[in-house]
Amino acid sequence: MERKTRLPFEGIRVCDFTWYAAGTIPTRVLAEFGAEVIKIESVAHIDALRLAAPTVPDKSGVNVGGWANNLNSGKKGIALNMNFAEAREVARRLIKVSDIVIENFVPHVMEDWGLSYEEVATIKPDIIMVRMPMWGLWGPHRDYVGFGVALQSLTGFTYLSGYPDRIPIGTGVNYPDYAPNPYHTVLALVSALRHRRKTGKGQLIEVSQYESTVATLDSAVLDYTVNGRVQTRQGNRVPHAAPHSTYPCKGDDRWCAIAVASDGEWQAFCNVIGNLPWTREERFATHLGRKANEEELDRLVAEWTAERTAEEVMMLMQMGGVAAGVVQTSEDLLVHDPHIKAREHYVRLDHAEAGRTAYDSVTIKLSRTPGSTHRPAPMLGEHNDEILRDLLGIPEEDIDRYILEHMLE
Amino acid sequence: MVQETLLGDIRVLDLADDVGAYTSQLLAELGADVIKVEPPGGDPSRGMGPFVHDIPGPERSLHFFALNRSKRGITLNLDTADGRALLKRLVEGADVLVESFPPGHMAKMGLGYDVLKEINQGLIFCSVSGFGQSGPFRDFKAPDIVVVAMGGLMYLGGFPDAAPYRTYGYQSHYMGSLHGAAGISIALFERDVSGEGQAIDISRQECTTIAMETAMQFYDLRKEIRKRWGFGGTPVGGLGIRVPGRDVYQCKDGYMLWLLLIDWENVVKWMDSKGMAEDLMNEEWQDFIKSVGDRTAMMSLIGTDAFLERMMRMEHLDQVFKRFLAAHPVAELYEEGQRQHFICAPVSDPSGLVNDPHLNDRDYFVEVDHPELGVTMKYAGPPYRLSETPWQVKGRPPLVGEHNLDVYHKELGLSRQELELLTSRGII
Repeated sequence: MERKTRLPFEGIRVCDFTWYAAGTIPTRVLAEFGAEVIKIESVAHIDALRLAAPTVPDKSGVNVGGWANNLNSGKKGIALNMNFAEAREVARRLIKVSDIVIENFVPHVMEDWGLSYEEVATIKPDIIMVRMPMWGLWGPHRDYVGFGVALQSLTGFTYLSGYPDRIPIGTGVNYPDYAPNPYHTVLALVSALRHRRKTGKGQLIEVSQYESTVATLDSAVLDYTVNGRVQTRQGNRVPHAAPHSTYPCKGDDRWCAIAVASDGEWQAFCNVIGNLPWTREERFATHLGRKANEEELDRLVAEWTAERTAEEVMMLMQMGGVAAGVVQTSEDLLVHDPHIKAREHYVRLDHAEAGRTAYDSVTIKLSRTPGSTHRPAPMLGEHNDEILRDLLGIPEEDIDRYILEHMLE
Repeated sequence: MVQETLLGDIRVLDLADDVGAYTSQLLAELGADVIKVEPPGGDPSRGMGPFVHDIPGPERSLHFFALNRSKRGITLNLDTADGRALLKRLVEGADVLVESFPPGHMAKMGLGYDVLKEINQGLIFCSVSGFGQSGPFRDFKAPDIVVVAMGGLMYLGGFPDAAPYRTYGYQSHYMGSLHGAAGISIALFERDVSGEGQAIDISRQECTTIAMETAMQFYDLRKEIRKRWGFGGTPVGGLGIRVPGRDVYQCKDGYMLWLLLIDWENVVKWMDSKGMAEDLMNEEWQDFIKSVGDRTAMMSLIGTDAFLERMMRMEHLDQVFKRFLAAHPVAELYEEGQRQHFICAPVSDPSGLVNDPHLNDRDYFVEVDHPELGVTMKYAGPPYRLSETPWQVKGRPPLVGEHNLDVYHKELGLSRQELELLTSRGII
C-alpha cells in the first residue's frame, strides 16, 4: 500500500545494540514510525530471549522464539561477533552513517569494544547515544547485573505490590522492562533527535533503568521522605473506594475487577445486583462504613459474582454505570476481546522460519502519520548482505573472508 | 545561566487529571512551559492521600505532587461558554494539549480536536483514556484496577491460591502517560517538517498489554495460558517450573530476590566459605551441581525416576540455600553476591530505597522547596540524564490558580476587571 504521508523517522538510521526487553522496545517504536533500525547481534553474545520460551512448536534454533520476535518487529538484523577487531571496525563504519546508537549492557561492554560515548562521538560528532545500564554508567554499583525483576525488587515495586500477610513476590513479569524504561527512553531520545535537527548537536543520554523505574513510584518516595511512612502492600485495596478488588466468577480461575468509588456508584452497584437485602444494611450505607467492613463486603460481592461469568459481571456493571473489567488472560485478549479486535491491536505477520504469528502492534496512535507493525523480527544475520555490502560498501572478498572466519554469525 | 533544554520552545496545556498528569510533568522537566488547567477549586486528585504530615487539603496531596512538578497552574471552568472561549484563546498559543476526560467529552464541550485544529493547525492533541477513543468498550469506566485487569497484566501477578492483585501505584496511569509523552515527542519531531499537528489516541489497556511479557506469544504459539505462578523469580520456560535459587527469599533482616541458574558451583563454594554448604561439598553432589541449569537435560528426563530424583535434589539445594540466606543480612548478601556476578537484589521498602548508597552517591533524589508549607521535600529524581540538555525540576507543583494573573492578564491580555468578573462568575 502506498503511504500517503512521510513517516516521522524516515531517513533516520539506528545502530541498535540492545537486547532483552527494556532496550529493544524503544527501537521497536522507532521502527514503527519509519526508522531504519539495524540490530547488531551474534551467536557469541546472543540475545537470550531468542532462546527463551515460548518457541514455535516442533522448531528449534535462534529464530523461532516468540518473546524475541515480538520485541523486534520492524527491525533489520546483522550478525557481527564484536570480539573480532574487524567486526568492531564494521560497527564503527555503521555508526558513521547512523543517527542513533543505543545499548543496554553493563557499562564495561561498550567500553571494552572501544565504543564509549567519547569514542563514538569522534566517529560521528552529532550522534545521539543512548546508554541504559540498569544501575547507570557510574556509581558504586555500576557493574551490578540483573533483569527487570531485580529492579522491580530494588525499587520497591515488589515490596509494595501484593497482600500484606504474604511474602512480597512482585508483578509476575519483568515489569520495568515493559513500562517505565522503554518509554522514558523514547521520549528522551526523540526529543534529543529534534534538538539535534535544530542545533546540530548530538549528546549522550544515560537511562539508569533503576532511576527510571523509581520515577514512577507515585507517592511512595514522598510519603517516606515527608511523613516518614514506609508504605506497605495493600492487596487490591485503596483508601478512596470499596468494593475495590478482583472477585471470583464462574469457571476455572475466572475473575472480574470491580471498583466503586462514590456514593452514586454504590447506588448503581446496588441496583445492578438487584438491591439484595445486605446492600441495605446500615454498615454499608457510607463510604466509611464500607471501608470498615470491607472484608465482609468483599465476601458478599464474591457470593454474587461467583454465580456469573466474568464477562457477564463486567457487562452488567458497566451498563449500570459501575467500573468493572474481566481479569483477562492472553487467550481473552488475543482471541475474544471484541474491543481489542475492533482496534486491531494485534497483527499477524509472516516470518520465514516462525511462520505466521501474532505481534503487539502500535500503541501510540497518531492520526495523521500512523505507525505500523509491518515487518517481522529479523532472523539472526538476515540483513548481513544488505548492510555490509550495499550500505557500507564492504567488498565481497572481505565479506567472504569474514564469513570464513566466523565473524558474521 | 539558563540551561539549554530540549523542549524550551514548547507550550503545553495540561487538562488531564491524575490519569494523564505524568505526561506533561515529563515534558515540563525537559523544558516545556506546561500550564495545568484545573477546574475552579482544583483538580479532584488534589483530594487523594497521602497528605503532607497527614493533614488533608488541596495543597497537600503527595499523590498530586508526584505528578505535577514544574508546571504552572490556572483554573478554568470548562462547563461555561466563557470558560470554553478562554480555552480556545489559550489553544492559539499552545503546541500541545493533553487530556484524560472520558472519550468524547472534549467534543461534547465543543473542544474536540476537529474544532481546535481549526484554531491552531500545529496543535498536538493527546488523549489518554482507559480504552481509547474508538471501539465497543470506549465508554467503559476505567479506573486503574479495571484497566490492568483488562490489559492482561493482573492475571500474571500473584499467588495461584489467591485473587489476582494490582501492581502498586496506578501503573496504568503511568503507562498511558508514558506512551502519551513518547507520542507527543514523535508528533513534535514530525511537525517540524510538515508544520501540522495531529491527534494522539492512547488506550491504557493497550499500553498494559505490552507488559504481558510472553503471555500473548505463549497462547499464540502453543495455546498455553500463562498464569500467575506465585514466586518472585522469572520461571524457566515461562510457565512456572520451579528451579532452585530463583525466588524471593527471607534473609536475616529482610527479603531478597535471587535469580540463579548456572552459577551453582560458585554458590556452593560461597556457602561453604561461610560453613553453610551442609552436605553439598560431598562427591555425590558434584555432577548434579554442575548441571542444575541444564534445562534440556531436565526436560529429557520427564516421566522417569531420574526426573523425580532430580526434583528432590533441586528441592534440597533450595533448602540449603534458604538456610544460608536466612543466616545473613541483606546488605552483605547483595554486595558479596553481586561481586560474584550473581543476579540478586534486595526487596527494598521505601526506606531502603531512599537510603540506597548507590542512588545517593549519584545524587538521585531532588529537593524541592514548598515555602507555603515550610518544608523542603525530597522527590524521586531524573528518569534520564542528558549530557547537553539536562533534565531539571523547575519547582514545586502549582497552587490552585497560582498563575491566573500571569496567564490571563499578562499573557492573554485580559484586564484586571475582566479577571475579577470571571472570578466572581466562577469561571476562573
